[in-house]
Amino acid sequence: MVDGVPAPWRPRLRMHWQPYTPDDKTPWNVRRVIHLHRRAGFAATWDEIERDLKDGPQTTIDRLLAGKAYSTAVPEDFEATSRLLADAAVGSGNIQRLKAWWLFRMMYSPDPLGERLALLWHNHFATSYRKVQDVAMMRRQNDLFRQFGRAPFAELLGPVVKDPAMLLWLDADSNRRAHPNENLARELMELFTLGVGNYGETDVQEAARALTGWTVKNREFRELPAYHDNGEKTVLGRRGNWRGDDLIALLIDQPATALRLAKRLCELLMGEATVEQPALDELAECLRSTQLHIGSAVETVLRSSAFFDDKNLGRRVLGPAEYLIGAVRALEALDPPPTTMVLAEWMALLGQDLFEPPNVFGWAGGRTWINSRSLVARGNFARRLADGGLQNPAATIGWVALAQRHGCGENADAFAGLLAKLLWGAETSDEARQIKQRVLGDDTALTPENSRRLVAALLGSPAAQLG
Amino acid sequence: MTTVDRRELLKRSSLIALAPTVPHFLARLAQAVEARRDDRVLVVIQLDGGNDGINTVVPYRDEGYAKHRNKLRLAVDRLHKLDDALALHPSLRPLADLYEKGRLAIVQGIGYPNPNRSHEVSMAIWHTARFDPAEQKQYGWLGRALDQLPAAPGGPGAMLAGDGALPAALIGRHSAAGSFSRIEELAVQNDAARAAIANDAPPDDLAAFVRRSTLDAYASADAVTAAAARPPRGATYPANPLAQHLRTIARLIESELPTRVFYAVQRGYDTHSAQMDTHARLLDELGRALKAFVDDLQAAGLAERVLVMTFSEFGRRVAENASAGTDHGTAAPMFLAGPGVKPGLLGTTPSLLDLDDGDLKLTLDFRRVYAAVLRDWLNVVPDSVLAGSHEPLAVLRAEQG
Repeated sequence: MVDGVPAPWRPRLRMHWQPYTPDDKTPWNVRRVIHLHRRAGFAATWDEIERDLKDGPQTTIDRLLAGKAYSTAVPEDFEATSRLLADAAVGSGNIQRLKAWWLFRMMYSPDPLGERLALLWHNHFATSYRKVQDVAMMRRQNDLFRQFGRAPFAELLGPVVKDPAMLLWLDADSNRRAHPNENLARELMELFTLGVGNYGETDVQEAARALTGWTVKNREFRELPAYHDNGEKTVLGRRGNWRGDDLIALLIDQPATALRLAKRLCELLMGEATVEQPALDELAECLRSTQLHIGSAVETVLRSSAFFDDKNLGRRVLGPAEYLIGAVRALEALDPPPTTMVLAEWMALLGQDLFEPPNVFGWAGGRTWINSRSLVARGNFARRLADGGLQNPAATIGWVALAQRHGCGENADAFAGLLAKLLWGAETSDEARQIKQRVLGDDTALTPENSRRLVAALLGSPAAQLG
Repeated sequence: MTTVDRRELLKRSSLIALAPTVPHFLARLAQAVEARRDDRVLVVIQLDGGNDGINTVVPYRDEGYAKHRNKLRLAVDRLHKLDDALALHPSLRPLADLYEKGRLAIVQGIGYPNPNRSHEVSMAIWHTARFDPAEQKQYGWLGRALDQLPAAPGGPGAMLAGDGALPAALIGRHSAAGSFSRIEELAVQNDAARAAIANDAPPDDLAAFVRRSTLDAYASADAVTAAAARPPRGATYPANPLAQHLRTIARLIESELPTRVFYAVQRGYDTHSAQMDTHARLLDELGRALKAFVDDLQAAGLAERVLVMTFSEFGRRVAENASAGTDHGTAAPMFLAGPGVKPGLLGTTPSLLDLDDGDLKLTLDFRRVYAAVLRDWLNVVPDSVLAGSHEPLAVLRAEQG
């Protein structure tokens, strides 16, 4: 149990999120270890997979929740290095360097779940550098996503909506009594809490009045009473002389907010069409009974039998970050390390330009990650990774050595099977053998060239886009 | 030979007439040739964020204009007058030129009943022409239209030029839509992965979807790469992203891609504060990009085949806000450009004094414009696409239909 996480909510409510215990039908095996890491992180290396196989699900999930899931290639001074990189990015005023910094964190942080949640909140509170035009502000907002990413939702929502990046993004940095600006009020309801359909136009107008007086001065949030509309407002049927904080508390308290968060977490952790409405309702109920404690709800999902059910395996389209970082880690292409600036460019080609979401709705995710452009980009990325082209200068990746470490000798069929196992937890090597046959024919020699071709083919294959 | 003649000839040609008895691929080839040479192309430009229609097509004589716009009031002497009541924004000189040449239709006061002020919901309504949220998750109006046309071999029926996910408007049940940002991105460098793709669909639905999408992706990538290899004709486009996307679109139209609908997005119209400069810059980019595009198509002899249509998810409120910006509103104008349009001003100008809770009253439903584009440009029966009957607006030349 992680410090600060309240006891899981009452078992009697758990119809749909029964705890997972391994059995013959759903054994704790390589496939499920990989599944857990793909969903709650990016991907584990083979050493980490073996460790987790031995330790069992409880310990493995404890480690993920505690932010200690990765051990391979994690630098001892990770946080200090990360700070240096972020400071340098801010100093340079170059947003590309901040993108590279975040990819550094995704690749090397011992806490991949923390980074996945930060990415979830970046999407939920989608704020773009395109308009904010301030690297320091984008970093500060991003740190909030990490600092409060597992906290009760109010602890995240309050600081994020009062943070200068958000106020500039939504033109809420000068909201005055005479002419309330509805942008923040609307997005607060539609995107950050209730979701569309759970409020009316007058609620938006009244909420905008409650937010009057909020402003940014000297790059900091200020609340100016002189600009605040002191009149009574009626929001969602509740009448009072509401201020901004009252509005936030009122929205946090709505059942629709808990349901929306439950959906968000299921999008993050569960496969396509694997969660029915009653299960969502129950997860929302769980959130409501814990003051919308995100970490607790994440734990409920990760420890559930629904999460480890066969139906949930390989049923989710990997997002760009999950695909890129997952490939680098699963294939251990970490020595020499890939250039994070280059990875940031690939992220954009795959459709997820970090710090620059397409609009206030963020990235739609799921099947929308898959289109002509992104699929060609994924395939081309696979080729580049296989050829050592993510490194600067270009490196030769020791694929044959990887094969030998895993007992594949110098056999191309065995190596293809290994890649399928590492990438999507394949339990049989049938599909891998077919791919190998199409790419190399009857040639079974694992020459460096053949090994590169196999990596490019398997990583670029449709199966490797799912997790 | 005019396009109509050629189409007629092809229709009468023995190959088509004998289609059931000639080899399938030959018939398909003949149909494809017909599609490529003669079929008309629609280019949609989405003004993303909610364009301020009032400062785009300015009702400068309306007393409400001075009443509601103070910091955002455009100086009358800098406007491009269309008539004694309406004028285009100072940045829209290129559109004023098109208007004078009879290549531009301006449709006014467009919206839909019970306007929604959420970007997402209103955009979904425009993209799908549906009001039921469940239906909005399914198919877009252009995707449905392309579903009714014969599948085009050799490339996707619709293409997004730009970043991000495909717009919902292009999603169809059968028809494929592709996307790209720069043409070079579409070149396939991973021959191993291509070789490894099997044609058989696995039983699993999601995996089948990814596999099918991958096959489509490689096919469309090849078609586009071949198109890009043609030497450019040296048309000069401004450097802004919209212009660059239109430049690429012109090259793809010039190639023999079967793509019928191209789509580009110009972002930034959500002008809640300090609107004046931003809006002027956006309209300047739009105008100059469109002019370069139209000139380029003209030089290539392709202009007759192309209709350009702009839209935005909503207009903005009539009164400016305290941040010298405007909040989400309702009705707004659309532009349709090309030799196929009936030029001039269409529809009724909404009054700035007769408002509905501070918003313009719509005077024309956007589905009437869609119906015209569907029937008179894409040759698709509008009713099924639009889930109901909407009288097509007379905005396209009758002989085109």
